[in-house]
Amino acid sequence: MTDPDRSLWIARLGYAGLALVLLAAPLLPLSTVPRPFATPDILLAVTLAWAARRPDTLPVAMVAATFLLADFLFQRPPGLFAALVIVATEGLRRRSARLRRGPFLAEWVAVGVAMAVVLLGHRLGLAALMTPRAPLGLTLIQVIMTIAAYPIVALLAHVALGLRRPAQGEVDTLGHRL
Amino acid sequence: MARERTHGEEFARPLRRLLVTLLVLAFVALTLAWRIDNPRVERLRARVVDEVVPRLDWAMAPVTAAVGIAQDFRSYQRLRDQNRDLRRELRQVSAWREAALRLEQENAKLRDLNNVSLDPQLTFITGTVMADSGSPFRQSVLLNVGQRDGITDGWPTMDDLGLVGRVSGVGRRTARVILLTDTSSRIPVTIQPSGQRAILAGDNTLYPLLDFLEDRDAVRPGDRVVTSGDGGLFPADLLVGRVAEGTDGRLRLRLAADYERLEFVRVLRSPLVESIEDVGGLIVPAGGVPRRDPALVQGPPPPPLAATASADPATPTEVAGD
Repeated sequence: MTDPDRSLWIARLGYAGLALVLLAAPLLPLSTVPRPFATPDILLAVTLAWAARRPDTLPVAMVAATFLLADFLFQRPPGLFAALVIVATEGLRRRSARLRRGPFLAEWVAVGVAMAVVLLGHRLGLAALMTPRAPLGLTLIQVIMTIAAYPIVALLAHVALGLRRPAQGEVDTLGHRL
Repeated sequence: MARERTHGEEFARPLRRLLVTLLVLAFVALTLAWRIDNPRVERLRARVVDEVVPRLDWAMAPVTAAVGIAQDFRSYQRLRDQNRDLRRELRQVSAWREAALRLEQENAKLRDLNNVSLDPQLTFITGTVMADSGSPFRQSVLLNVGQRDGITDGWPTMDDLGLVGRVSGVGRRTARVILLTDTSSRIPVTIQPSGQRAILAGDNTLYPLLDFLEDRDAVRPGDRVVTSGDGGLFPADLLVGRVAEGTDGRLRLRLAADYERLEFVRVLRSPLVESIEDVGGLIVPAGGVPRRDPALVQGPPPPPLAATASADPATPTEVAGD
């Protein structure tokens, strides 16, 4: 196996491992009391950070598998949230080349729009299917908290996992532009 | 030499787009299938959870234990106050104990006179809480007992004091319990001593609502609330909690079960089970609505057949839906 292949697989496995941890963490039976606020959806933030920064290390199949599993584990209608996340990551993937030339603020805005599309689209989808929904306030809190958490997630991913935006003109060992 | 790697080869791009579109459509189709044939997809969900969560348990259990220890440690700081409170409580409790012993003897004597035997059908299986619902919008827990332990959909669950919820979704080695605080939880209850019937409706807060009360004036905060056994959903006379008045003036329920720390949960083997097997059964049971002996049923006469089947508030129509 050649070297760039290995680093690609390390990045992929890094995402898979992180996703697994983020799937298990909310399942910890620490408190079964209903909370008056909603926590940010960190798994979504991490996935979108990956899609905006290193889409080459984020296969669609992995996103699909992760979020389908999340739908099953978190008692959501299976498929709807996953489909929305795939649409959002594909959109960011297409824009990622342009995003890395712009400032971080532009990336934040693009990712924030994608988050709002996923979380509010999920709610709209539930409304269209006439399924019971959580109070609107909780969903809005979750959207705002997730968008607010994005810079922290991006910073941690940058520092801890080396998930940085490739510099302009950076190439891999085969001479392909990243 | 510099090429866009992400865009790949010329022929691969449209193909990739096609595959992604198909994937999204397949997921939407799965959602529609969930909406149309809910019981089947929910069984699939139970199987997936059953496969995944016990495998994660080796990692989750130590973290849960560590956080529990940290929380216990924080409570040590208040040890002195706690000790004083406990002493005071102990004095009260010993008085209660005397009363309870006296009543128990009296009760035993009366039972002996009447030749009553306690209901032997209500035995239980104890399970450990394995996982949370994982979503701030759903209130449920996952137990480490399942089909292989004989758990059946619809059985009530209690902790050592009061009702916790209802089994909904059973895998081979796990079972999900929808808590009374979940928005889809509806339980028929009786309020003592007035004997009023009501529906306990979860609304994602710690204090579920008492709905469909006949006479609100007959109910006072502090009244005891037990399951009524209406609709064949739960056995009667399981303690649920005490009435409390919310800040908005509506009647709510202070749950007897300790929701702060659910650890061990008893699943009662209830003889009355109403299970949802297929789509048709959701609306009208296959054999029609079972007619019960009117002499056994207390309360108002049942409404006409068609109305009971479609408008029974005690039947949760949704098993999940965020």
